[in-house]
Amino acid sequence: MSIAATQKRGFGSFLWDYLTTVDHKKIAHLYLFGGGFFFLLGGLEAMFIRIQLIKPENDFLSAGLYNEMITMHGTTMIFLAAMPLLLGLMNAVMPLQIGARDVAFPFLNSLGFWLFMFGGILLNCSWFLGGAPDAGWTSYAPLSIQSPGHGVDFYVLGLQISGAGTLIGGINFLVTVVTMRAPGMTYMRMPLFTWATFITSVLILFAFPALTVGLFLLMFDRMFGSAFFDVALGGNSIIWQHLFWIFGHPEVYILILPAFGLFSDIFSTFSRKRLFGYTAMVFATMLIAFLGFMVWAHHMFTVGLGPVANSIFAIATMAIAVPTGIKIFNWLATMWGGSIEINSAMLWSLGFIPTFTIGGMTGVMLGSSVADYQYHDTYFVVAHFHYVIVGGTVFGILAGLHYWWPKMFGRILNEMMGKISFWIFFIGFHLTFFVQHFLGLMGMPRRYWVFLEDQGLDMGNLVSTIGAFFMAVGVIVFLINIIYTAVKGEKPGDDPWGGRTLEWATASPPVYYNFKQLPLVRGLDPLWIEKTEGKGKMTPAEPVGDIHMPNSSILPFMMGLGFFIAGIGFIFQVDHSAWLIAVYAGMATAIGSMLIRSLKDDHGYHIHKEELEREAD
Amino acid sequence: MNNHESALFKDKQIGFLIYLGVEAIMFSVLFATYLIFTPARQGPHPSEVFEAMSVILSSFFLLSSSGTLLAAEKGLKKNNKFKFLVWFGITLLFAFIFLGLEIREFHTFVSEGYDISVNVFMSSFYVLVGLHAAHVAFGIGWMIVLLIQYRRKIPASLFSEKHTIFSYYWHFVDVIWVFIIILVYLPYLV
Repeated sequence: MSIAATQKRGFGSFLWDYLTTVDHKKIAHLYLFGGGFFFLLGGLEAMFIRIQLIKPENDFLSAGLYNEMITMHGTTMIFLAAMPLLLGLMNAVMPLQIGARDVAFPFLNSLGFWLFMFGGILLNCSWFLGGAPDAGWTSYAPLSIQSPGHGVDFYVLGLQISGAGTLIGGINFLVTVVTMRAPGMTYMRMPLFTWATFITSVLILFAFPALTVGLFLLMFDRMFGSAFFDVALGGNSIIWQHLFWIFGHPEVYILILPAFGLFSDIFSTFSRKRLFGYTAMVFATMLIAFLGFMVWAHHMFTVGLGPVANSIFAIATMAIAVPTGIKIFNWLATMWGGSIEINSAMLWSLGFIPTFTIGGMTGVMLGSSVADYQYHDTYFVVAHFHYVIVGGTVFGILAGLHYWWPKMFGRILNEMMGKISFWIFFIGFHLTFFVQHFLGLMGMPRRYWVFLEDQGLDMGNLVSTIGAFFMAVGVIVFLINIIYTAVKGEKPGDDPWGGRTLEWATASPPVYYNFKQLPLVRGLDPLWIEKTEGKGKMTPAEPVGDIHMPNSSILPFMMGLGFFIAGIGFIFQVDHSAWLIAVYAGMATAIGSMLIRSLKDDHGYHIHKEELEREAD
Repeated sequence: MNNHESALFKDKQIGFLIYLGVEAIMFSVLFATYLIFTPARQGPHPSEVFEAMSVILSSFFLLSSSGTLLAAEKGLKKNNKFKFLVWFGITLLFAFIFLGLEIREFHTFVSEGYDISVNVFMSSFYVLVGLHAAHVAFGIGWMIVLLIQYRRKIPASLFSEKHTIFSYYWHFVDVIWVFIIILVYLPYLV
């Protein structure tokens, strides 16, 4: 299979190639496509929310539909957009950064993607099958238990399936970083993005089981008559809140740490300087991850856990500002005295610093448990978490996309359009959310579908909605940029930015085996070391030899499909037992695929030495 | 076993042990739920529900199945086909007996009127112990697949890899059962 042969083919084989691929670079494309699709969907839901709130007592959406919108906006953006987009970037870049030919388990990598995708589709099927979930993205009991129809059932099973996919991804990345680093790539030579991937994977492994159990209990309450969260029958609805936030707070660090990692890489590359305080950055990342597990109850200050619990969680929460501050100062110090190049990737990164700092500051305000009684469940909270999630994660994803686009697709995104989309989005973002701080302080509660006239909320909400339209335009410009680049974009060569890390030592896009010979890493920023010593390319760590590659497989797709069908059946079997057929058929597909995987020996194939030598010419 | 295969096996070992770590967290959350809800303020008390005999019998079979699996592993290492098949078969048999006893126990409880919706104690009992039983059932399926693999005469090194990974799983399921005995049953039986 040479590269030239794979380029001449029809749409059918193109589709089949992506359905069966186990190549981390193609799975990254899938994640970006899937995550991007759900990002647009979640953005559309956000626009509906803002249009509803453009004026007092608007009747654009009904109250019930509004509840579905806010629930699906939050759930989609967190689970189906932000996380997959980050997983896509990790897939695309992390193996290259450590000098590996693939991840440790290519088959599981593909399975993780398809589980996420089918979980997401299952969740969104609810729109057409009797109504979307409407109990908020936190799905607090008893609201989620009382919610009629099947909306919340879709939430439970959709997240269960896509959560399993994320867990598989986490295990895969962790093993990859532990066992597959190139010769000389010690832990303390790994780029910050790889470090972030590593630590994020650990967070996923500790946080997601809590969500799994929470959803499991919620499922039993809704479908099988148990009473974990039903106070009337001796249950305790606070347990759900604990389980949800034991997962939910680490989850926000799962979202932000990869962004921190890629900002570190970008600042260092475009300042032409080694990252300031590398060791401190690594340990700050670890500390944030560790403290991230100690603070979940700051979402529950008003529950009534008592002054002692509230104080402990308040102090732990504020403590997180310390490692985060270390990071902010290290980024500033990295740029200090550097020869800075400002392009779209750098603009998103520069925009991130003040935006995220504001979000962090309001975070400390919210962390004060006494003051939180005033802020709780108001638009102040909404403003805070959009400042950190959009200002951190979304800016990070966009920065990463601009930075690695040439590596992933071989073409460079148009600079002019990149800058336009940044400025429109950046201005729109602050218009939308800055004013929401004040709406919240004036007492506007979140999740309400209307507000009354002449209470000082009219102007702020109008401004906020106008800002949302700016953000939408920014995203549309970015989409046009993608299409333009795909058709007419420049091909910039392998190393357009003067990169420092190993991914820039590969071709753009990399050949399917990444490295013909594994590179020898001689320090932090390995490619930069070779450049400063005048060599410009990596020294191989091994002679040219046969490369072992895994075979493609349709089985991960079939397993995902099976769980999807079983999920639909499972949701509706409470209405009619005929739906059990779907459960059995789906489980048979999934388990049958597992059996085939187990019994059909698949040893992969070898690319032979001679073939590799030919391709070099 | 060449270089590539041994590296792959190491990956699989690490990956699977991490997975068991995830499972351990999941079970500990369920244990916490059980401890919070038991005994419940209303409905049946655990001491009215549990029967010592059923627990002792099922514990005997499941815990000794860990030992028989070790014996099977020894047979595999010594290339003693007969010894392996006998001990592995006994492990499988014990797993079936355990699962049968569990089903019998659940059936008895339900027919006595203690079903999942009686109170939060019964809910958390069924979810925790039921999830463990589901793990045993999955383990039975896994053992059957392993037997098929053994008949297919795949390379001995590959089979012993598969067997090792399974033994991690089986011992883990046993450890969870020990915790179930200690935390779920024992406080209300003695």
